[in-house]
Amino acid sequence: MRTYLLSRLAQLFPVVFGVVTIVFLLLHLIPGDPVEIMLGESAVAAQKEELRRELKLDRPVAAQYVEFLGGLATGDLGVSFRSREPVLREILSRFPATLLLAAASLLVAVLIAVPLGILSAMRQHSLLDHLSAFLAMLGLSMPNFWLGPLLILIFSIRLGLFPVAGFGTSRHLVLPALTMGTGMAAILMRMLRSSLLEEIRQEYVRVAAAKGLSRRATVLRHALKNSAIPVLTVLGLQFGALLSGSIITETIFSWPGIGRLMVQAIDARDYPLVQGCVLFIALCTVAVNLATDLLYSRLDPRIRYG
Amino acid sequence: MATVLLLALLALAGCTPKLPIDEGTLVIALPGSPTSIDPRLATDAYGEQILQMTHAFLIKRDAAGNPLADLAETWEERSPTEILFRLRKGARFHDGREVTSSDVRYTFEWILDPRNRSPHRATYDKILKIEAPDPHTVLFYLKEPFAPFLVGMARGIVPAGSGARGYTPVPGAGPYKVDDFQPDEAITLSRFGAYYDHSPSIAKVIVKFIPDSNVRFLELKKGSVNFVLNGVDPDLLPAALKNQNLVMEEAPGSNVSYLGFNLRDRILSDVRVRRAIALAIDREAIVRAIWKGHADLADSILPPGFRANSEELSPLRHDPAEANRLLDLAGYRDPDGDGPKPRFTLTYKTSQNELRRRIAAVLQEQLRQVGIAVEVQSHEWGTFFSDIRKGNFQLYSLTWVGIADPDIFHYAFHSSQVPPEGANRGRYANPELDRLVEEGRRELSRSKRKEIYRKVQLLLFRDLPVFPLWVHRNLLLRDRQLAGFTLAPDEDYTSVKEMRIDRQVRGATGKAAP
Repeated sequence: MRTYLLSRLAQLFPVVFGVVTIVFLLLHLIPGDPVEIMLGESAVAAQKEELRRELKLDRPVAAQYVEFLGGLATGDLGVSFRSREPVLREILSRFPATLLLAAASLLVAVLIAVPLGILSAMRQHSLLDHLSAFLAMLGLSMPNFWLGPLLILIFSIRLGLFPVAGFGTSRHLVLPALTMGTGMAAILMRMLRSSLLEEIRQEYVRVAAAKGLSRRATVLRHALKNSAIPVLTVLGLQFGALLSGSIITETIFSWPGIGRLMVQAIDARDYPLVQGCVLFIALCTVAVNLATDLLYSRLDPRIRYG
Repeated sequence: MATVLLLALLALAGCTPKLPIDEGTLVIALPGSPTSIDPRLATDAYGEQILQMTHAFLIKRDAAGNPLADLAETWEERSPTEILFRLRKGARFHDGREVTSSDVRYTFEWILDPRNRSPHRATYDKILKIEAPDPHTVLFYLKEPFAPFLVGMARGIVPAGSGARGYTPVPGAGPYKVDDFQPDEAITLSRFGAYYDHSPSIAKVIVKFIPDSNVRFLELKKGSVNFVLNGVDPDLLPAALKNQNLVMEEAPGSNVSYLGFNLRDRILSDVRVRRAIALAIDREAIVRAIWKGHADLADSILPPGFRANSEELSPLRHDPAEANRLLDLAGYRDPDGDGPKPRFTLTYKTSQNELRRRIAAVLQEQLRQVGIAVEVQSHEWGTFFSDIRKGNFQLYSLTWVGIADPDIFHYAFHSSQVPPEGANRGRYANPELDRLVEEGRRELSRSKRKEIYRKVQLLLFRDLPVFPLWVHRNLLLRDRQLAGFTLAPDEDYTSVKEMRIDRQVRGATGKAAP
């Protein structure tokens, strides 16, 4: 296990190196000058050159890249061009909001998907199965930019149950989590249904039934656990994606997450902040994937690492 | 399980809290979060608007750009290069210190220090030195006479010794002090009891940063926001006015949208083509259809009513027949009359703003009517602006905001101001205009300046390096109980300090009395 963990952690370096390199190059390729954006048009050319020198943007891209990697090696992500705050502080100030929304969305998805997925599998081709298939299709088809305002209209304006937008209390969390969780629930539900159906057809399920174990107990105690691996894979991938923020949901609900921060940083050509955000998101994704892989062995003792 | 989820949601919902207006709180929605709330660094409109509530300025400006007293009670030009300001006594910063001339000197010297990378440094590069002979007198020495100097002194003052610390607020001497600032969320302000003028009536102001226009509208509808200035799309205004608690105020604005031409382009270098394009555009139809009538036609990039505005410009009205004639004269005959083949094709660049894209589609159709094909390219802001600065465009549209002085003509049209130096994005070059705008910034007599800028505007009207489209009207949606705000053309939030909550006001829906 330890060897496996170390080897996975070692794999982290080429992944992170690849990601930061690609983003560094892309950022320097796209049009837009951070100095122009920072100083505005009114600054004279000499002032812009001065700032360009100070930020070391006048140096060749290769030299800037080496400098960036040097900073990275010492854990220094630099200072945001835009806000003059240390990049790490900017990211860490937004991460709790992103993590909270990601966890709540995941919870919503699981709470919807697991019961419906199990019921659909247990009562295949029933009315309930068709209904859940319809709901899954609906969940997948509704884009967040439409679902978000719809939920606001119903739950906030009509029923007055939740705030329209904002951040701070648990009441603020409900609608964005429902918006993001619904689509995810649809995928999870279908995944769980098909995975569970496969398990239900296995011989050990027939043996359990032959020995007199109820269908419900067979499914919940044995089949469900065995069908969880593909579901967990999807869940891990989705959670990793959620941690990178969702610009649409964050914009609709004025949620101060990583997604909005990164888009603003890109707009301002705030190179250190964009690179810092991407690095952070890459690390989160790798960490979630690793955690998912480790969970496999918990769920299925046949899976052994190391 | 679904029942459990529903019950959990209802438990979380709990009882609905009181509306902010009932608690005496003014809640303003702004479309974006400021990158800085330090007057030495803030450049975006959102930062400026918050500073108008939190900081006292050396001087203020009225709607016509005339200087008004704020921390400086009086000022005098001791010579064309020496301007003396006398500060009021008893003004205090939020930390309790008295505002003195040392603070004023420090603020401007900090901006001028290259190490501090202030975006406002260029505004003050005519300052030679600053003296503070006594605690209430500041003397500015200029390198040369500079007419727009006084207008530029409308800058928030910070206590001497204040460093710039990212998002950490710097104390001001304005009517409200910052209690809490959460970027991309909200800023909470509370009444400053020791404000020199008078303590504001409303004790607490929350400014929420809500990027989505529909959500700003929904927050207003719910009452969780009770004040939105220019933040609701014109399409949503009728729906907003159905709400009994809301009223709308409308007043002329100062943000001027214009169509920019690249004068180094082979086709657009011909003034007849530029004039034909202007005549082919039915601005009135666009104002009616897209702005729902909440804009006025512009004839100059200076807003109407501005002190140096010219009355002699006859606006270019929609005249497709004349546009066709001019294009024929310029040698661009329509190859197949009303057929599909165009005279020529132009590229029009715009941002990804939804309204801008709709305007682009209308312009495309209107220009097609006179045989000009337009390819619309909509880019993310950084790319769009970079292309405009580099001259990588044929047509584009942008809006001038916060024009405070006719010296804008130097910045926008002098031949030395081609980017990266200034904002002459269309690469216009006219020695006569260069001479006039140079003269205008040196001339201190207001009447003589007015005459100079009259000539400048006539020149620009003749050469048409840009085509002014419309001036946006300011639209305020507010709770009916809020009173006392003065709608200024430049979207100034200074008069928030005069606002009060009038509990007696109840009435029908609709517009407020002017």
